[in-house]
Amino acid sequence: MIETNNLTKNFEKLCAVDNLNLKIENEIFGLLGPNGAGKSTSVLMLTTLLKPSSGEARVCGYDVIKDAKKVRDAISYVPQGMAVDIKLTGYENVMLYAKLYGVPDRKRKVDEVIGLLGLNERKDEPVKNYSGGMRRRLELAQALVHEPEVLFLDEPTLGLDVAGRRQIWEHISSLKKKGMTIFMTTHYMDEADEFCDRVAIIDKGRIAAMDSPAKLKNMIGKNVITANVKGEFKGLNIDGIKFLSSENGELKFKVENGSEALPVLSEALTKQGLNVHALSLREPSMDDVFMQNVSTTDDKTKFDSTKFRTMLRGMK
Amino acid sequence: MNGVLYFIERDLTKWTRSKISVIASLVMPAAWLIFVGLALPVKFNNTNYINYITPGILVMTMLFASLAGGSLLIFDKMLGFLNKFLALPTPRESILFGKILFITFRGIIQSTIILILALVLGVKIYSLTSIFLIYLVLFIFGILFSSISTTIALVVDDHDGYAAVNSMISMPLFFTSSALMPYELMPSWLRILASLNPVSYAIDTARALFAGNIPLNGILELIVITVVVLVISVYTFRRATV
Repeated sequence: MIETNNLTKNFEKLCAVDNLNLKIENEIFGLLGPNGAGKSTSVLMLTTLLKPSSGEARVCGYDVIKDAKKVRDAISYVPQGMAVDIKLTGYENVMLYAKLYGVPDRKRKVDEVIGLLGLNERKDEPVKNYSGGMRRRLELAQALVHEPEVLFLDEPTLGLDVAGRRQIWEHISSLKKKGMTIFMTTHYMDEADEFCDRVAIIDKGRIAAMDSPAKLKNMIGKNVITANVKGEFKGLNIDGIKFLSSENGELKFKVENGSEALPVLSEALTKQGLNVHALSLREPSMDDVFMQNVSTTDDKTKFDSTKFRTMLRGMK
Repeated sequence: MNGVLYFIERDLTKWTRSKISVIASLVMPAAWLIFVGLALPVKFNNTNYINYITPGILVMTMLFASLAGGSLLIFDKMLGFLNKFLALPTPRESILFGKILFITFRGIIQSTIILILALVLGVKIYSLTSIFLIYLVLFIFGILFSSISTTIALVVDDHDGYAAVNSMISMPLFFTSSALMPYELMPSWLRILASLNPVSYAIDTARALFAGNIPLNGILELIVITVVVLVISVYTFRRATV
């Protein structure tokens, strides 16, 4: 459904997306990465909103440059801004898209998607009375009104409360079951772990890892030990213990056998002159996968004010 | 074409639901008409000042309405609507044409209210043809300046930038036009500015229509300028969106 071949985007000196190669079938595909890693740029290129510098991308068999209009016919795109008209009613918001898409028998179709997303009771209210979760569902309704083959979602659960997120994910999962391909970006590792069939971690425009969440976690090892320490960590060389990351005095190690490694690790760290406050053992999470594959945790990108607005609006 | 209508419908519904902006946009031209037009004790071209100033105020209504309209596109851009619309199979230019036509249409509605007010205050119009042609001039002028304002909106980054550009050009355009006094009475430097100002073209043409003449040249000039600006606007839009 989506195929890219060395897709690249340069902004003057910065290479935002560097030779991206993807092959995505009917699945929920999550693109993860730190801010500024190239997630949104990739989505913009695939949705024909940004011209690639080099390489090619095909969506539903159509080239995103040469057949841009056919691509737009086959997809829906929900950006992260929560762009719904608050002075219009929910029904009017969806109807606008039905008209713009040229949906046949649109009254029936609009009612159908509004019902599907559970907005029927309040469809004639102005959207300014809607919660963040309802606005997101309304955006999904707008996107679904023309039955796209591929749905692009840019951080669909940003700024939503737990219940709101759950609902969005239930809808996304059921869409995939109906045969839709879903390409999304997210910052929430737990959500990617639970709902995505496959994820790619993108760092500085390059794919650092790509597979199912389960396989990616397996690559980390059976267990992860987190050690809270004081002092400078100088590195370790013990069989079966591999250093993963260090952040604010929190060291992470992947280990083969957790319960055996705990005392060994504790002793080794103390020997280095480190003051060990706490040690904990757990199974690896997507957070660990992410931290291992991303080169820096320092967010050097400019703060994106649109994102902040989205969060504020979600809270209202 | 259908896309254009749907985009206009969207903006129109949103506009009519915010009553304050409908009323607020009428206050300034009405104030000019009443507090300047009725109050200033001067006569130009052998008529009362209000007769002289009415064509200028109608064009000003259109000018300010058009320039204010650019913020619609700015907000669509800032809030993510533009990207959503651009990802639709609807021809992309219909977003631009929808905006230009809506802004012009809104200006026409405002001008109509000002025109009615002027008639109530005693301003005379010669014939139905004059009325029709006055509307035609206002329409072309509206297309001209809403093309300019949407083009500016495409180029600047945010609403503050747009508001700054808007306030920078709107008042000077009005004061350096022939809205307030005849060319003969202007100081020579202002006369040069006024005769170059496209706002004057519209005002002079409208003024001739109020006087019962039919200035075909003026209308043609306006059409030519508008077509040129519209082409630039479409070109900028295409460059900004792909």
